[in-house]
This record gives sequence, structure tokens and C-alpha cells, in this order.
Amino acid sequence: MGELRGFLKYQQKVSGYRDVKERLKDYREVIQRLPREELIEQAARCMDCGTPFCHSFGCTLANLIPEWNDAVYRGLWDEAYDRLELTSNFPEITGRICPAPCESSCTLSINDAPVSIKEIELAIIEHAFSQDWVIPQIPRQESGKKVAVVGSGPAGLAAAQQLRRMGHQVTVYEKDSAPGGILRFGIPEFKLEKAVIDRRLEIFQQEGIEFETNVVVGEDLSARYLKRTHDAVVLTLGCRVPRPVPVPGSQSDGVYFALDYLTQATKNLYGELSPQEFISAKDKTVLVLGGGDTGADCVGTANRQGAKKVYQFEIMPKPDEWGKSWNPEWPYYPKIYRSSSSHHEGCERRWQIKTKQLYGRGVSIEKGIFCEIQWTKDPSGRPLQQEIPGTEFSLDIDMVLIAAGFVQVEPSKLLKDFGLQLNERGTISIDENFHTSTEGVFAAGDAVSGASLVVKAMNQGRGLADKVNEYLH
Amino acid sequence: MKEHTGLYDRTFEHDACGVGFIANINGDKTHSIIENSIRALINLEHRGAVGGDMKTGDGAGILLQIPDEFLRANLEFELPAAGRYGAGVFFLPSDEKLFTSSTALVEETTAAEGGLFLGWRKVPINRSALGETALQSLPVIQQAFFSFEELQGEVLERKLYILRKCMESAAARAGMDINQFYIPSLSARTMVYKGMFVSTQFTDFYPDVRDKSFKSAIALVHQRYSTNTFPSWSLSQPFRHIAHNGEINTLRRNMNNMRARESSISSPYFGEEISKITPIVNPDTSDSAIFDSVYELLVQGGRDLPHAMMMMVPEAFGTRYHISEDKRAFYEYQAAVMEPWDGPAAIVFTDGIRIGATLDRNGLRPGRYVITKSGQVVLASEAGVVDIPPEDVVEKGRLAPGRMFVVDTEKQRVIKDNALKASVSRRRPYRRWLEKNRIELKGLFGLPHPVDLDKETLSTRQRAFGYSIEDMITIITPMALKGQEPIGSMGNDAALAVLSERPQLLYDYFKQMFAQVTNPPIDAYRESLVMSLMSFVGRERNLLEETPEHCRQLKLAHPILTNDDLHHLRNTYIPDFKGETVSILFPRSEEGGELQKALERVCTEVEQKIDAGCELVILSDRNIEADKIPIPALLAMGAVQQHLVQRGKRHLSGIVVETGEAREVHHFATLVGYGASGVNPYLVFESLVDLKQRGYIPQDLTIEEATENYINAVKKGLLKVMSKMGISTLRSYRGSQMYEALGLNSELMQSYFPATPSRIEGIGLPTIEQETIQRHSSGFRFDEKRLDHLDSGGIYRYRENSTKHRFTPLAIVKLQEAVRNGSYSAFKEYSAEINDIEHNLCSLRGLFNFKQGQSVPVEEVEPAEEIIKRFASAAMSFGSLSQEAHTTIAIAMNRLGAMSNSGEGGEDNQRYSTLENGDTALSKVKQIASGRFGVTGEYLVNAEELQIKMAQGAKPGEGGQLPGYKVNDVIARVRHSTPGVMLISPPPHHDIYSIEDLAQLIYDLKHANPKARVSVKLVSEVGVGTIAAGVAKGKADMVLISSGEGGTGASPLSSLRHAGSYWELGLAETQQTLVKNNLRGNIRVQVDGQLRTGRDLVIAALLGAEEFGFGTVTLVSIGCVLMRQCHLNSCPVGIATQDPELRDRFKGKPEHLMNFMLFLAREVREIMASLGFRRFDEMVGRVDMLNMNKAITHYKAKGLDFSNLLQPSSQLMSRISNQTSSQTSSRASHKPAVPIRCMEQIKPDFSASLDWRLIEEAQSAIEDRQPVLLKAEVRNYNRAIGAMLSSEISRRYGEAGLPEDCITVEMRGSAGQSFGAFLAHGVSFRLEGEANDYFGKGLSGGKLVVRPPEGSKFLAHKNIITGNVNLFGATGGEAYINGTAGERFAVRNSGATAVVEGVGDHGCEYMTGGAVIVLGQTGINFAAGMSGGVAYVLDENQLFDTRCNLEMVDIEQITEKRDEDFLKRYIQRHIEYTGSRHAQDLMQMWDELVPLFVKVMPLDYRSALLKAASEADGESIASTHNSEQIKTAGRS
Repeated sequence: MGELRGFLKYQQKVSGYRDVKERLKDYREVIQRLPREELIEQAARCMDCGTPFCHSFGCTLANLIPEWNDAVYRGLWDEAYDRLELTSNFPEITGRICPAPCESSCTLSINDAPVSIKEIELAIIEHAFSQDWVIPQIPRQESGKKVAVVGSGPAGLAAAQQLRRMGHQVTVYEKDSAPGGILRFGIPEFKLEKAVIDRRLEIFQQEGIEFETNVVVGEDLSARYLKRTHDAVVLTLGCRVPRPVPVPGSQSDGVYFALDYLTQATKNLYGELSPQEFISAKDKTVLVLGGGDTGADCVGTANRQGAKKVYQFEIMPKPDEWGKSWNPEWPYYPKIYRSSSSHHEGCERRWQIKTKQLYGRGVSIEKGIFCEIQWTKDPSGRPLQQEIPGTEFSLDIDMVLIAAGFVQVEPSKLLKDFGLQLNERGTISIDENFHTSTEGVFAAGDAVSGASLVVKAMNQGRGLADKVNEYLH
Repeated sequence: MKEHTGLYDRTFEHDACGVGFIANINGDKTHSIIENSIRALINLEHRGAVGGDMKTGDGAGILLQIPDEFLRANLEFELPAAGRYGAGVFFLPSDEKLFTSSTALVEETTAAEGGLFLGWRKVPINRSALGETALQSLPVIQQAFFSFEELQGEVLERKLYILRKCMESAAARAGMDINQFYIPSLSARTMVYKGMFVSTQFTDFYPDVRDKSFKSAIALVHQRYSTNTFPSWSLSQPFRHIAHNGEINTLRRNMNNMRARESSISSPYFGEEISKITPIVNPDTSDSAIFDSVYELLVQGGRDLPHAMMMMVPEAFGTRYHISEDKRAFYEYQAAVMEPWDGPAAIVFTDGIRIGATLDRNGLRPGRYVITKSGQVVLASEAGVVDIPPEDVVEKGRLAPGRMFVVDTEKQRVIKDNALKASVSRRRPYRRWLEKNRIELKGLFGLPHPVDLDKETLSTRQRAFGYSIEDMITIITPMALKGQEPIGSMGNDAALAVLSERPQLLYDYFKQMFAQVTNPPIDAYRESLVMSLMSFVGRERNLLEETPEHCRQLKLAHPILTNDDLHHLRNTYIPDFKGETVSILFPRSEEGGELQKALERVCTEVEQKIDAGCELVILSDRNIEADKIPIPALLAMGAVQQHLVQRGKRHLSGIVVETGEAREVHHFATLVGYGASGVNPYLVFESLVDLKQRGYIPQDLTIEEATENYINAVKKGLLKVMSKMGISTLRSYRGSQMYEALGLNSELMQSYFPATPSRIEGIGLPTIEQETIQRHSSGFRFDEKRLDHLDSGGIYRYRENSTKHRFTPLAIVKLQEAVRNGSYSAFKEYSAEINDIEHNLCSLRGLFNFKQGQSVPVEEVEPAEEIIKRFASAAMSFGSLSQEAHTTIAIAMNRLGAMSNSGEGGEDNQRYSTLENGDTALSKVKQIASGRFGVTGEYLVNAEELQIKMAQGAKPGEGGQLPGYKVNDVIARVRHSTPGVMLISPPPHHDIYSIEDLAQLIYDLKHANPKARVSVKLVSEVGVGTIAAGVAKGKADMVLISSGEGGTGASPLSSLRHAGSYWELGLAETQQTLVKNNLRGNIRVQVDGQLRTGRDLVIAALLGAEEFGFGTVTLVSIGCVLMRQCHLNSCPVGIATQDPELRDRFKGKPEHLMNFMLFLAREVREIMASLGFRRFDEMVGRVDMLNMNKAITHYKAKGLDFSNLLQPSSQLMSRISNQTSSQTSSRASHKPAVPIRCMEQIKPDFSASLDWRLIEEAQSAIEDRQPVLLKAEVRNYNRAIGAMLSSEISRRYGEAGLPEDCITVEMRGSAGQSFGAFLAHGVSFRLEGEANDYFGKGLSGGKLVVRPPEGSKFLAHKNIITGNVNLFGATGGEAYINGTAGERFAVRNSGATAVVEGVGDHGCEYMTGGAVIVLGQTGINFAAGMSGGVAYVLDENQLFDTRCNLEMVDIEQITEKRDEDFLKRYIQRHIEYTGSRHAQDLMQMWDELVPLFVKVMPLDYRSALLKAASEADGESIASTHNSEQIKTAGRS
């Protein structure tokens, strides 16, 4: 365990972000790190609980948090890395972008500030990279079985690596120009530098995983072919169909879906787009519809592109503000008001705003009509929105980014060719073995459970790998 | 005959008793000896018990010299001269045909053996004296007479012995068991009269003994208190040579050894006839009977009477004892010949000429004697059993631990311990023999060299042996760092081994047994000097001879061998000592079955090596490879042990196990428990090097030190395991098999662990093979990196994907959600999660199903408010819990009309008054635990239930301690101790060493609060049912069966996991045994241990529980999140901590707990409705409503069989009555309906209580505080005098009581046990005469004076006047004792001041306050564990420090005037009250004597006082001794 009574001795400490002025000038990571000595103090706060909720309730991956906390406290970074690496395929990514439900469910969060688990995680893996401990794990035996993984988001990558380490020959098919899926193009550079992904992918490749990018399965490659040439097919396609905002004018130019916008921004950064193709927010008044993380990413990106003004409207009520260090809803992830680093970079946020209409001169967006609403419940208990009379207002805008979530798997030829059953939510149906309705075809991640956290996708990918392995034996 | 129905097994019956003897030293045969002995028996009646029919005694008997004169007068035929004929007593079958054949058998065998059968005499009996049950099994009692020409003396005795053995064998061949054909005695010297009655029925039943011509010079008597009431005439005592009050804890070991030795015994005394006397022991008899058989063999084989006794019950002879070198050598030599028969014992023995008595090394049974001028010796469990005029007394004494005492009627003198043992131990040159022959390897147990670490393969091997990270970090590391076992807290809710989906080590299927009630656990720390890990390893020789070669064995100081040790044993050449290795690896094969083959191979190889003359066989699992798999070491050991015992070769060689498997204490304990002479845990030693390299072992601790620490930790752990079983020496523990298996099938058990009970079947050899291979393979899988790593373990710390636990994180969250929001739906989610056996099958109850019942509407079911009254919060002390948590629980339970439990930490008397809002924070159940913290008269009267805690589920058989830093001001006040001073709870209650002691405490408590019910808390283990029956017979109102999985504030981890069984089994066994004994109707049954949901509770009710206790779940309701760190004082939710900062974080509310209880009751009602029960009572014991869930397909659970557990009571009863009726005639055709739940509780019997009269006569004092002076005559059956009187006072005046001497009672005679128990302030007892054990128990402010009767001629200060365990748990008051007291004087005293003129062993043990002045000698181990108070001892020969346990105290000179004044003041008072001649002499030489006084000062206490003194401005607090002042200091 960490230090006995360490949680009473040391205060929680977090590193925070780089200075706003400075960070707005670039796309480099906004987070900072605590020095390693201070991290040891933070690890000392871990109580090594008899029932560690961080590990068993908060973390989907069941990361062995108390074990690596203890190792860090003892200065045994190599052991910390060993334990961390057991449950996570790319902790350097979750250590940067995971919302850290582990910390919300840390036992200390009952009445104190949690252990800074996420920072410790990141420190361990970065230290491991710096010490060259992160080396490919070549399987000791080849199974001779071939697996195709379609889609290279977190679920696909986790599945691919696990399957490869079990000795199978794995090929990952990605329709984009580089692997990573949502990690690469959905998450802006300033939150997750793409070099971090590339560093990990290099390991993947050294382990023998093959990547085929710019390949759209179902079109460039037939589903039938894929199936014939592999012993199992894994579909980790993500859940890419965005939820629309169905108001008049939403088809106008200058109204984009968040993911498209973010993808473009990243591609632009890496010179993969011509300037003509690039939609920039420079000098524009930008409205982000949707108050979630993706929305925040849009805010941060727009600001970096030099937007004149950024608004973010959310239809749901503003959660309660919570000024205390402990979690009022322990061990659940609390529904409290949060702001991401992007919000501090300049943004006007409003809640309970409904978009009534978007319009512009010609096809380009110029203006939106909005009103305030209040939420009630209908007799059956379902939430009901009511416009508040007299609150209607209009806003001049040059660009609208819709970040209202995702609804289902993108319909594609692939799905059709495999004859996959979808469920009522529009995602792929599987059984308890991650097996789809088609023999030998498995699925996991957002494509199965709808858009969710990266850790969840990873966990599913890992779970799927075990089942596919069983299937192949 | 093996009686075995349901879970009840006769093997686990226990008994205890009153024993004694009377003898004329000059050998004159008189009838008065008989009369007096029977009177003594009658006066000991309260030490016996009666059964369910209220009349059948557990047995009583007398052994006397053959009443030659009487017999001649009553026989129709002539007898040869006295001493030239043998007389036998026979219990013969009542069935006519069998009777005829058995008499014929006797006569024919006599003829065959060359004897002359002289004739029969039908012994007259009076059937009407018997109870129903005794009558049903009454045998035909006959005497018979034999002669062998001119043979006489020892030769005739031996011939008669052989004759009896031949008759027994013939009877056995004819199919008669000992209930059909039994020979109580056959001798030319002695005769036994005994039977199933209580002592008062004796003379009625046997008219013979009333005849004036019925004479003897000696009489040995015995009165039995048994836990069972199944008639067994043959097992009542005395036996042929002994009567035994006690238990042989190591019987299994002793029997196995005897069986092995039979093959190599020979003796010139027997010659060819030796074959006729085997088998020596009949395993179907009792421990005492078996002891008798072996004792008889030794004596007939030529050993002297005391010699044989010294072999079987050796006193402790460790280096801390001051005994002669020759005697020590004698005992060490004998240790190579035979292991001790270990257990509490007072044994009286005789050969008809000499009669003697001895106590076990711990002195756990009382023995008081008187020698009279007129030449009689009376020895009995109590003083005062026979009237002896004071002027006739020459000496009053007691048997001290390990001491012996013999009356020789031939030499006409009394021979004391020293004289006896000096002559025995110098009969042969034992010391020289030992020096020449004993093998002690040079370098053995030297500092170990660091072992080589093979880092490459370490993880592979660790995984192959099932190591987890927890093994490395949580178990091995702390052992290496601190030299002791790691401590943990809370309960064990991990999945049972047999339900776990992960491969389990075989050890995990074995549960440690432990001593409770019928024999005490030993305090391995404070009383370590009686314990020993020493053993001899090698070849044992002919038991009936003594030669120098007998001790040609290897002496091991302890059984843990380093690699160096083993290397020495393998490679050093020693003549007559050869060690060889047998590999216990087996090959992998596809079809399986290799394990069994390998076991057979190992057994054969071991036997071959032994046959070839090998004295030491090493079973080794070194050099595993991918397809060389280790046999589980315990299995290999069990197989070899069993094989060798069967071949009669076990005693020919030592077996050492060299294994990578063993790492925690339990592993070593089981290996040794199943016969290993030594264990080498080589992989641990290698792991230590790894841990050092990784920094878990710090730089400044060398590997050598770490290894030593680790070994020390194992040694301490072994001592602990042994001590909790009540075993003192490794020699007798080894192979004693004191375990219960859980989840192993009988085929496996029969083959490899035959003496170990396993009651629900389970897996067999094929599954073990599968598990072993699976585990092994995980070490040799390289296909994936994550498999290279040790698993987390998840046993002590929850881990997803590791070991399953019943309390999952989700369950905790849902429960807290439910109780905080008052949400029943969340509660249902909680209970669904806990009950979800699909995903979380952890416990046996998970495998039960309810049978379909005729459901009723839930509205018709008894309301929740009524059901809740059956609920209790489990005992958790204030001290382990914060004040906030403790009172929150009490308030919640009180509001609900349920019960809360004080735990063992006393209770703040401020909680006895009602709070402003009408709440009360008083705990209705007050616990009486071994530490007796704060157990005052006031505490006892403020209770509705008094609960005697015999054991705690988390650590049965162990005590505990509260570290000084947790003892803050409030806790110190409540526990009557000093802030900052450590408090120790001893493993045993020092007033409960046997079942009749428990009955005595129940009796005391009923006097101390006649309105409260008394309950006894037991922990589930095999045999708990029979103990519960004993508890019922002790007249407790309720028995609590606690599960071994229960929680704790602190306990060694191995105890948490491995000691104690589960309530499903313990409860079912209790129910079955109580019903079977027709005792269930008189006692209520409560159950606790990880009870969580309505389903759990209904299952418990159906199995027989009426009431339910909740511990952990209670805490979770008020905020606990199962940190499992209660022992660290760091509870982050303010529950299990005394830290003010953390206590502020407590957020629990009474409403939360109330919600839980209400929800639980609601869920119970729903289940009741579905099963069709309207009233809760209807459900109790309805085991027929349960069955086993056959749908479980779990590969291990499949083999479980609950049929024993689920045996309906009705079926059980009919089976019993069938049995008895087949044995007797059709008399039992009328079968009474036997209750299966409590119908009516037994009213306590206060008829012998003096207090009724005292209360009446003291009315004016009680009501109006007017002084009164009363007088009374007392006898030893007047017990607990003063307790009820005091309750009247405490009820009215609380702790303050009455003004000093307000009620003075002058008494004469021998007072019974617990004289002045809990005596309140203002009551003074002045006793002229003597007192028995437990004098001043729990003294609460009263004053006790005892002095010898007027006219006594003996020197008072040289003679014993009170018994053992005086002033136990006293919290205040004074005692003046004009004479010496027995063992354990003022143990756990926390406030009383006493003056005494001498004390026995272990004086002032665990004392925490008060003052004791000893004006004379003390026994050994004085002040062990003493953390407070002071003692002054007159140390005339300045050797006191050799008898004092100096671990926690310093011995100071009397230099301060304050000390001198204090001494003078109290000695003056002593003179004033008792007229002590000795004290007067002292005062006259005062100035010369002062320098000889020493002051015993506990270190902790001194610093606490200094601290308090400096805080209180140096007031006169340093004058430590006055208890009042100490308390003030404590409160300041």
C-alpha cells in the first residue's frame, strides 16, 4: 500500500494546463505533468483499499490502480509499468484523454480529494517509454490463424494487439489515411498529439500487426474475400452517424458536424488537406451546438484557428456547480458542472437553449434563432421541454458545429454484405461471445454499444480478443 | 460402533468432570473411606450434568480396593486368599441369548488361558434410581472371579490383564461392541463400580456400597459432565487405572503412533503373549479410555506408576524452568520415546496400592488436597467436599501445573512431586545416554547462507506453485520484515476453495480446528514457556524398553529447515542416521490418473527406503519442469503418513518435506499436522532474495536477517495454531490432524486423511490432479506476456477477475444507496447482486434452493416489526469502533426494539441514561469476553442479555490486543484501564477451562443479573453441535453459532482465512445435535457470519436459527466501504478509528441502519409468504424446505453433497429411537414429540444460593443504606455467594454501591466457587474457612476476607486457602487472604487491591490496574502480559526475578516512602481483618524486610503514569498503588 495515513499527510495536487495565452498559440498538448517526486507523494495518498472502487467500479479496464500506485510510491517504476501494462494496451492515451471515472470512485472521493490516478498513470507510461521499457512483445508461438480487424479505433487496436500477442496473424483495415480512428481524427492535437499514437503504432507493427490504410472494406475489398482469407473477422467500426439538429436551415453551408470539422482540422495540421478543402474558423463567429466533450474540442480547435467569437449552446440544464474536492455522487461519475481546458480559452456557454432555426443569405449560414426552454416531465415521467415565452433571441453566426452525439453505425456495403443484424439502436448485435449474427464475424466497441468512452472500447476489444482466441482454438 | 447420523459425530463428544480420591495412608481398609468418597462425589454434583430427561446423569463411579471381606460374605463359593484371585466387573448384554454367549465366552477364555473360573456374582442394583435414558441402556452387571494357581502380585495382575485382553478380543470377534460387552475392571487389587447416574443416585443404585463390611483403603471417584447424553455405561469413569478430568487434544496423533508402535513392541514380561494384548487401544472408546489403555500397557510392561505418567503427561521442561538437569534429561529422553498426550488434564491414578494425581503442564484443571492428622488424604477438584475438623488438618495443598502427588499405602507415606520425580529420573543414566546418542548437527539452524536466485525461472516456478502478488507482498514480505504473521481485519467473504473457479492449493480445503469451551486455548505468547517446538526425528524403538539407542535421533529445535539445514542432513555422514530423498513429481498425461500412480510410487519408495534402514525421508518437489508436476505437498504427506501408519512403520523414520508450495503459516501447520517432521520452503527463501532485489525488503535488512525473521514468523504462527487447538508441544501436534476438510470427497479422505472429518463431500483426486496441472501449466505458458505475471490474488484486497467475494463493490454501493435514500428497489438490487450465484458463487448457502411451498399473501405474514426483534448487531467493541459508530448502531437497534451488542470493551455508564430526544444508546447485549474489560456489577445489571464470548469467527482460539495508542481517555475509563497502556485479551477465559467451568460462569452471571438471559457465543467447527449441547446442559438461554468467516478489528491473516468452519454446517450440526439430545426445546439459537440478505436469513432459519446477528453489513449501512484496514486506525469513513480527524468524517445515521433492518425484514416476509409461512416460528428448523441446487454445473461444486446437512430433524429423531429400541427392548416404543425450536427456557436453579437469605436480611441496608451484620454457614455447593446481593445494590446505586462495610457477612465453612463474584462496594465478606476457584471473580468494589478456621494447627501462609483464578477481572475492591492462593491470582485485575501470602503460577497475568501484595512465594511466569497496576512481592531468597516474566515489567526496589507507607497500611489492614500470624511476624521485622520487598512495575504503565502526573501538575499520582488514584489519573 501507499504510505499509511498518507492521505492525511499530503494534499491532492494536480498539474493543470499550460497558460492559456501560450497554449492558444499552438496545437501542442495543453496538459502539464507533475515532477516525479511529487507524484510519489500523490501515490502515497492511495490507501490500498480492501475494496478498491477505482479499480473495480470506476475503471472499465479494471486497471490495477492500487498496485501501480504502491509501486510508484516505492519508486519501483518498472513494476508499476508491468502492472499497468497488464490491463491496458495504450495507457499513454487514456492517461491523457480519459475522464477518469477511477478518480470519481476513489474511496478518498467520499469525503476528500481523490488520488491523482490519471496523472500517475500517464507518468508511469511516459517514464516507461523514456526508459525504453515499452518494447514489442512478439508472440512466442504462432497459431497460424489469421484475423482481420476492420476499423482501427481504440476497440480495434486493443483487439488487434491482444490477438497478435496470442499468436494470431492480424491485419487491421482502416479506411482513413492512418490508423487510430477517433483517436487520430476525433480528438484534437492539443489534447492528444498524434505522435503519441504513432509511437504506439510502431510497437504494434514491430509486434507483427499489419495495417492496411485507405482501404474501405466492402468496396476496396469485398466482405466475402475478407472472410475467405481470414479465420475470423473483427468489426470495430465505431459509431459514426452523428445526431442531427433537425431545424430549418441545418443543411446550410457553414453548418458542420463536429467530427467532420475536427477531422479536417487535424488533417490540415498534418498537411493532408489542400487549403481549399479546409474549413477554418478563422475570424468567424462560431456556434457549437452540444455541451459535451466533442463540443469542447470544437471550441478549442476554433479558438486555435482564430475564431472571432465562440458560443456553445446546450439544450440540457446546466449541472450544479460543485466547489468541493469530494464527489457528491460517489462512486458514480458525478453530474456536476465541469469545464474543459478549451472552455477557459474563450467561449460563451449557455444552457437550456433550443435552436429554432438557422438561416443565411443564400446557402451560407448567417444567423440563428434560439430560445430558452425549461424541462418538465410528462405524466409518464418522460422529460419534456417547454419553450419559455419571450426568451427568443437571434444571434449572428458564421459557422455552426453540431456536436450532439452519435446515433448509430454508418450504414455501409460491408454491413450488408456480411448480412449483419443491427439492433434497434442501430448498432451491431452480438452474443455474449462478441459474435455477430454471421459465423466467424465478431464486433466490439462503439459499433456495438454506441458512442462511449475510450476505455470502454478498449475493454471490449480486449474481451473480444479472448473470445476470438477461444473461437480459433 | 460408530454412531453417526447427519452432521453429528460421536468422536467430537467432550466431557469434563469432578475427580478425587480419598486414602488411608497406612493402608487400613475402612468403610468410612467409601462413605466419604461418595459424600465427596455428592458434593461435587454441580460439576456434573443431567440430560434432556432431567434425570440421567452423565456418569459417576468409584474405583476401590477389592472389598475382600464383603465379597467373601456375599459369595456362594470360596475364594482363595486375598491377593491370589482376580475379581472382574462385567457389563453384559441384557439380551438373553447374547448374555448366555458372553458368559460362556468369559468362562471359555479363562480356561483357554489356563485360569480357573471361580464363579459369578450378580451385582444387586436398584433400577428405580435411574433416569429413563440410563435405564434404556442398562447392561447386566456381574462380577466374576478367577484364579491362576498360585500366582499373585504383579505376575497375577499381568496374567489378568492378558486374560481381559483375550476376552475383549473374543467379544469383538463375536461382534459385540463395548456397549454390549465391557469389563470395567479385572484385577486382584482393584474393582470399579460405575454407571450412568449422578452421584446422588450412587448409593441407591449400588446397595453394595452401603454395606459396613464394604471396605477399602483407597477410593478414587469421578463425576462426569458430558456434552452429550447418549447412554454409554462403559465410558463412564473411573477406568481401570485412572480417572481423568480433561481432554486429550492430540488423541489422533497418539492413537496413530500407538498403532504404528504395536508392530515393534516386545517385553520379557509378556514374551510370546505380547500378541494377545494387541490392539492396545480401541478407537471407538473415549480419549480417557484410550489413555487408560496405554497407561495400563506401560505399567504392565514394567514401568513404574509415576514413570508411566511422566511419559504420557510430561511437565514443561523448557530452559525457562528451574528443574534439575537429570529431570530435564529424563523428559528429553522420553520425548524420543513417546509424544505427550496433550491437553488439559487432572488425572488420578492407582494400582490398588498406590494412588496419586497429576496435572497437565498448564494446570488447566483444579486439584485441592488435605492431609489429616488421622492419616487420611483427600484430594478433589474442589476444597471442602468432605468435612474435616480444623484441628485435624496437617496440610492443605493444591496440585500445581505438571506436579504429581502419590499416597503409597504400602510404604505408608505421602510422596510429593520432587521425591517422586527425582527417583524416577535417576533410575537410569538418561543424561549420559542423551549426550552420547542424541544427534545434533553442527551448523543446523545456523545463520542461513543467502540462496541463489534463479530470476529467469522464478516467476515460472512461483506461478506453478500458485503464488500470487498477495503471497509475495501481503504475506511473505511482512513476515520477513517483522518476524510475525501479517495482520488483517474484517471478515473473509472470499469464495470457498471448492467454489472457486481458480485452482486452489490443497491447504485451502482444510480448516483449522480450535479449542472452545471443553478445553481452553493456550496463550502462546504470555505463556510461551509451556509451549515447545522441539522434536526428535528418526527411528523410534520398542516402547516397552529403555536403552541408550532410544534417543539416537535427530533433535530439531523447530521444524522449519533452511536450505543449508537440508544440505547438512543430506550430506553429513552420521552413523545410524541416513537421510534419503524421494521425488514427489508426476508426469503429465492426456488421460490423467498420473497423480494416483505417483502417490503409490512415492509411498512404495518411502517404505522401501525405511525398510533399507533409512531414518529420514525427504519428500521433494524440486526440479519441476513443464511436464514434471509437483504432487500437492500436503497430499504427498498425507499419503505417506497414512501408508506408513497402516504398515506399522510410521515411527521408524522422520519425514521432511522439501517444497516450493509452502509459504504461509497455514501451509506449514497443515504439513506438520499431517505428520511432517520438518518443512523446507525453498521457494520462499528464493523469493526473499527477489524481494530484496526489488526493494520490498529494505537495504538495511540483510537476506540472512530476513530469512531468520521469516522462519521466526512461521514458528510463532505454528505455536499459535497449536495453542489455539489447546496443544502445547509440537511432538504431540505433529500428525494430530486437527483439521476439518471442506469440499473434499470421502474417497479421497479415506485414502489420505482418514481421521479428518469432511462432511459435505466435494472434489476427489481427479479434480485435484486437474487443478494441479492447471496451476502448473499457468507457470509454463509463454504464449502471452500477461501470463508471465503473478496474479493479484484478490483474497485480502478485492480484485476484479481474481478471487470472488460475496460483498462486491456494486453490492456495497447499492446497499448504501438503499439505506440513505430509503429505496427498497435499490435494496433489491443489492440483494440480487449478493445472491447472484451465477456470477458470484462464494458460499455454501449459494447452493441451496427453497422448495416450492404453498404461498400465502404477504399481508398475512408476521409484521416486520416483530421479525426485527430477532435481529442483533454483532459484537463490536467500543475501541474497535469509534464512539460515533458504536452509539449510532445502539440507537438504531434500540429504536427498532432489536438488540445491539456492547462488544468486549465495556460500556460508558453515561449511556445507561436516556438521551434528550428519547433515544437510548445502551447496548442491550453485554458481552463477557476473556479480557473482562469493564465487566463490573453495574455493567452486568444494565443488560437484557449477557453474552459469554467463547470464540470469535475471525480468529477462534485467539485473544487480541488493543495497542496503547488506541486507548484514549474515554476508552481507558470504560475499560477500567490507563490511557496509552496496551490492553490484552487472553486467548482463553481464565475461568473457563472446561464445560463445567462454563456452566459455573453461566451460574455466576444469572446471579449477577437474574433478569438477563445468558448466551454463549461459539464458532462453527466440526463438533460445535456437541459443545452447544453442553452449553444447553449448562443452562444457557441462547447459543450463538458464529461463522468462521466473521469479521474482526484485527487478526492474523491466516486465522481469518483458515480457522473455523461455516455457519451452514455449524448451525445444522447444532440443530441436529440439540434435537437429538432433546435439548432444543430449552435453548434459543442465534447465528451470525456474513449474513446479508433475506435469503441468507431464511436459509439460516430453516436450518434452525431463531435469531440473527449482523456485523459487517451493519457497518456498511453506516458508511463502511470494506477498506479492511480497521487494524490500522486509518478508517477513512470514521468507523473503525479513534483518530478525531477521521472520526469527523463519519456520516452514518441511525436511520440508515434502521432502513437496512426494515428492508431485510421486508425481504424476509416476502420469502416467507412465498414459502407459505405466516409466523417466523413455523419456519425455524424446517430444513425439509431446503434442497441443493442441482443446476449448478460448476466443475468443483458438482461433487458436493448436502444430505447430511439437510437431514430433517424428524427423520433424525426416528432414526435415533430406532437405534435405541433395537438395542433395548420395545420399551422405547412411545416416542415423545421432540421440539425443533425453543419452546420454554429452563428456569435457573437458585436453590443452593445463599443470596436469597442475604438479600432478605440486608433489606435495610439495600433500601436505606443502614449497616447490617449477618452470619452464615457455607458449603462448597453454595456458589457465587454475593453476586445476586450485589446486583440489587448495583441496580440501585450503580458503581458507587453502598458505604464501606454497610453489609458485613461473617461466614464459616468451605465456600463454593466464585465466592464474592462481582461483589459491590459496601459489601464485606469475612470467611472463616476456605474458598474455591474464582474467589472474587469480577470483584466490583466489595471487600473479601478469608482466613483459616479457628483451631487450625497448620501454618496458614504455607497452606492453600483459596483456589485458582482469584480476582479474575476484578475492577475494584479489596481482598485479604490469610494463606496462599492457587494459579493465576489476580489475572486481568484492573482495580482491586489484594493482600495474599503466596500465589501459584501466572500471578497478576494481564493485570492492568490495582495492586497486589504477595507476602511470600510466587509461582513462575508472574506478571506475564501485565501492562498496568503494581505488585509487591516479598522476595526472601531474591530469586523472584527468575519466576517473573520480565517482558513487560521492571522489578524495582522499594525506595519511595509512599510505597512503604502503602505496604504498611495494607499489611496492617490484613492483620486487622485476618489476624495473620505471618503478617504480624513481618511487621515485627519490618525494617529488615523492607529491602526484600520488590515492586513489579509495568513499563507502559510507568510511562503513562509519568505522563499523567506531568499533566496533572505533579500531584501525588505517582503513588501509583491506590486504585482510586489511578483511575483518577486515567480520567484527568
